[in-house]
Formats: sequence, C-alpha cells, structure tokens
Amino acid sequence: MVLDQGLIAAREASVDLTSVGVTEREWRLPTWASSVFGVLMILVLWVVAASALGIRKGIPQPWDVLTQLVEDRDLYPTNVATTLSEAWKGYLIGNVIAIALGMMFILVPFLEKALMQLAVASYCLPIVAVGPILQSTLKGQNPKIALVAMSVFFTTLIGVLVGLRSADRTSLELVRAYGGGRWTELVKVRIRSALPSTFAGLQIAAPAAVLGAIIGEYFGGENGLGIMMIASLQGFKVARTWGIAAVATALAGVGFVATMLIGRSLTRWAPRTAGSGGQL
Amino acid sequence: MTTQARPTTVPDADAAKGIGIEGLSKIFSIGRKQVVALDDVHLRTPAGSFLSLLGPSGCGKSTILRIIAGLETPSAGEVLVHGESPKVLRDKHHLGIAFQDAALLPWRSVEANIRLPLEVSGVKVPDSTIPDLIQLVGLDGFEKARPAQLSGGMRQRVAIARALVVEPRVLLLDEPFGALDEMTRRRLNLELLRIWSERVTTTMLVTHSIAEAVFLSDTVAVMSPRPGRVKAIVEIDLPRPRTPEMLRSHEFHAIEDHLSELLFAGEAAASGDDL
Repeated sequence: MVLDQGLIAAREASVDLTSVGVTEREWRLPTWASSVFGVLMILVLWVVAASALGIRKGIPQPWDVLTQLVEDRDLYPTNVATTLSEAWKGYLIGNVIAIALGMMFILVPFLEKALMQLAVASYCLPIVAVGPILQSTLKGQNPKIALVAMSVFFTTLIGVLVGLRSADRTSLELVRAYGGGRWTELVKVRIRSALPSTFAGLQIAAPAAVLGAIIGEYFGGENGLGIMMIASLQGFKVARTWGIAAVATALAGVGFVATMLIGRSLTRWAPRTAGSGGQL
Repeated sequence: MTTQARPTTVPDADAAKGIGIEGLSKIFSIGRKQVVALDDVHLRTPAGSFLSLLGPSGCGKSTILRIIAGLETPSAGEVLVHGESPKVLRDKHHLGIAFQDAALLPWRSVEANIRLPLEVSGVKVPDSTIPDLIQLVGLDGFEKARPAQLSGGMRQRVAIARALVVEPRVLLLDEPFGALDEMTRRRLNLELLRIWSERVTTTMLVTHSIAEAVFLSDTVAVMSPRPGRVKAIVEIDLPRPRTPEMLRSHEFHAIEDHLSELLFAGEAAASGDDL
C-alpha cells in the first residue's frame, strides 16, 4: 500500500512536472502541428500574392492550380512514368557507382588521391552545361539517365566516405588483431557503420534525381514532366505549369521520405541524432 | 635516471617461454618532433603467467600491448610470446584482446558480438563455446540483447567473452575495467580471476590500478613515463587461488605500498628526466 501510494504520488508529481513543462513552452507546437502551420502559411502567402499580382503576372490561385491538375489528370501518368523511369535508373546507376567508388577508396587509399579530384570536378560541372553535350552524344533516355546519375553521384559518395570513415577505431583494431585486413574491416565494421551517413546522402540524392531528370528533358525528348513543363510555359498555361511543378515537388518529396524511412528501418541501432535523421 | 631498468628476475631457461621482450623501443614521430614512447624495455614471464603493466598514463604500457597485438611496429628490439612474433601470433589467431572501450558493434547482439573474432579469423570452435562463454561471464539471458541495452560493466563482460572465444594462448587486456566504477571493477576482477584460472592463458594486463595489478598478477612491471621504461619488476607471491579476503590482508597492503612507492619514485625521477 505504501508503495502504491508512493507510486501515485510519483505519478502526480510527474504530471505536475509535465504540466509545468507545457505551460513553460506552450508556444511550441508538436512537430506535425508546426508542419501543418508551415503549409498553411505558404498557402496564405500564395493566395495573397496571387490576389495582388494575378495570373497575368504568373501567379495563379491555389484552387486554379488544383482544378487544372484535375483537368489534366490524363496527361500526367505517361509523363510522370517517363520522368520517374529516367530518375530511377539514373539514381540507381549514380549511387551504385558512388557506393562502389567509396568502398574502393577505403580499400585502396591510393585510388582516392587519384580519383577524388575527378569526383569533385564532376560536382562542379554545371548540369546545364553538360546537358546539351550529353543530349548530342547519347540516345533516347540515356542523356537524362546520365544527367541524373551525375547529379546524385557526389552527395552519395561523400555520404559513403564519411560513413565508412566514421567506423569505431577500436572495433577496426579488434578486427586487425584477429588477423583481418582492410576487406574484413570493410565487411564486418565499416559498411554497417556507414549506413546512417550513406542514407543521409541517398536522401539528398532522391530529390536531386527528379530535378536532374526534368532538367535533362529540357534539352529534348518525347515526353516527361520537363517536356510538359516547357510546352505549357510556351502555351502560357500558367496554372498547368504550377501544377507540373507541384507534381514534381511531390515526387521529389516522396523520394526523400521513402529513402529516409528505408534508412531508418535499416539503422535501428544507430542514435537518431545525425545521419538518416532528417526531420519531417 | 632509474637504476633498476632491467628485470632483476629472469626465470630459468627451462621454464616454458611466456612473454619475452628484449630491448624494445618505440619512437613516434609527431610532425617533426620525435617522442620516445618506449626505451629499451625488457620483460620475461613464463607461459601461463599473469603479467600486469602498471604505470601512469603516457608511460607506454599500452604501446607494449599494442606491439604484441601487431597494432604497432617496434622501432627496435624483439617481442616474442611463446617464441612467436606478433605477426605469427596474429596469423595463427593465438591472441585474445580486450580494450578499455568494449568496442561492441551496436548492430550486433551479445551473441553475435562474441562471435566476431571467429568470423574474422575463421577459427572453428564447438557450438557450445559461445553459450558457455556467456554463462562464464554471467550474461545468461542477455544473448540477444543489443549493446545499447547493456550497462558498462555488462558490455565489458561481453568484451572479455569475445576475447576468449578463439581460445587464445595469449590474452591481452588494455585497461578493460578502467572506465568502470570501483565496485563493478572489483567484481569483474574477481570474475576475471575465476575465468583465468579455469583456462590458464599467458596474460598481459595494462592497468593504472595498483590494487587490480596486485590482486590479479603473478608479476607486476612498474613503468615510468617519458621515455617509457620498466622501472621495477615485482613478483606477487600471494597464494592462489586469490580471494576477496586477501584484499584486506596485511601482505596485500604491504605489496600495494611497495608498488605505490615505486610508482611515486618513478614520477619524481621522470620529471627531472625529461626529453
């Protein structure tokens, strides 16, 4: 009984504490609420801007965009499918190369000295400059895929390298003391340690892939969101242009969140501070 | 300068060779500066004995252990354990090692962490080995637990079990209990003693705890810092098996006092003996 009373007292005390906590930071909303608040703010600003400037200045009302989206519902599937297919293939190729290269850099440090500058150069090349070159040298989907691969490659490479290097030093020494070499270090310790940071890189790469595909389409192609966007821009279809932008943003966002969730499920052991954290 | 730089007790040549360190020196280059971590260290113990390296931090005691483990290369001198060089020890998987940091892989369970040296070395042991070890270190029921769910003491037990899993002939312990509280440390010392007496293994413990060194060892090498030297070698003639009661005995305290005198003298000498 005494124990029970103690527990109840403790519970009451903790309730008191939390209520104090709530009053102290009442102004701070829960995460989901602040997200909703943020979206609402954007919508309000949008409506204000659209009302002030109007569609002639290029800003339609949100409901106009929505109506246009519904009207265009048959236009989207093929175009989204094309863009996604380019984005996905490029994402895969660019990231596989980045991950493989990152591991090779750890296994053969000489390679890093030789190739890292090339990797940096690939990041510094403006996509807009490379696009036309790729478009004239490669065929079909390939220039877009190459562009996507280029735009995801570097962030993933950095994520992988930072992750592989973040492996616990004592754990690596342990592997060495039991006769393991660089390869065993990589397989037993480094790769798993690298997952959080790798997924942070992959997460940034997901929206970059969608963006890369759309920019790739600007340089020519049959269909895709980029083609659709150019067509609607040239046809002064303002609401449609905004609709396409919204769809592209949604695709990028889905990619970002999906990567984050996969990363989290694979790194349950890792502290949720850095790496694949990424607050929504 | 200390007068007792060389070991005073050399076991007779017939005794099986344990740890044999001859003229070991290690110089680290930090930028343009050279730091003498170890200077002409000599140590000899018979096989199956328990040696502790006792000294203040920075006296190179961990460096000796790391050289035996093949994690550092000596600048001069020779290191053999059971007549085998560090490279041979490593290649033949005769080593077991535990550090101050348990260094458990956070994504692996207790069981899988203990299995790591087997996976790395390819050493085959009976299936019962890991359950037996888990029981030996008193972690029954925690087989599937992740390191994050364990206390510091429990993690260190896992590290000890992991060091023993390859059935090593040489056990290297680098301050394995250094980060633990005094009570946990004492309890784990007792357990280490029990484990060690069950499977006699040539052991080297690096520690800065005098009581720990006296309680566990056959031989204590007292080291002085900068440059790291063996200042004295003290045989601990307390009978085995050692019991917690001995910690309160007169003999125990006498040895403790003797060692702390040696340590203190070492520090005083070292300050006038700088680079």
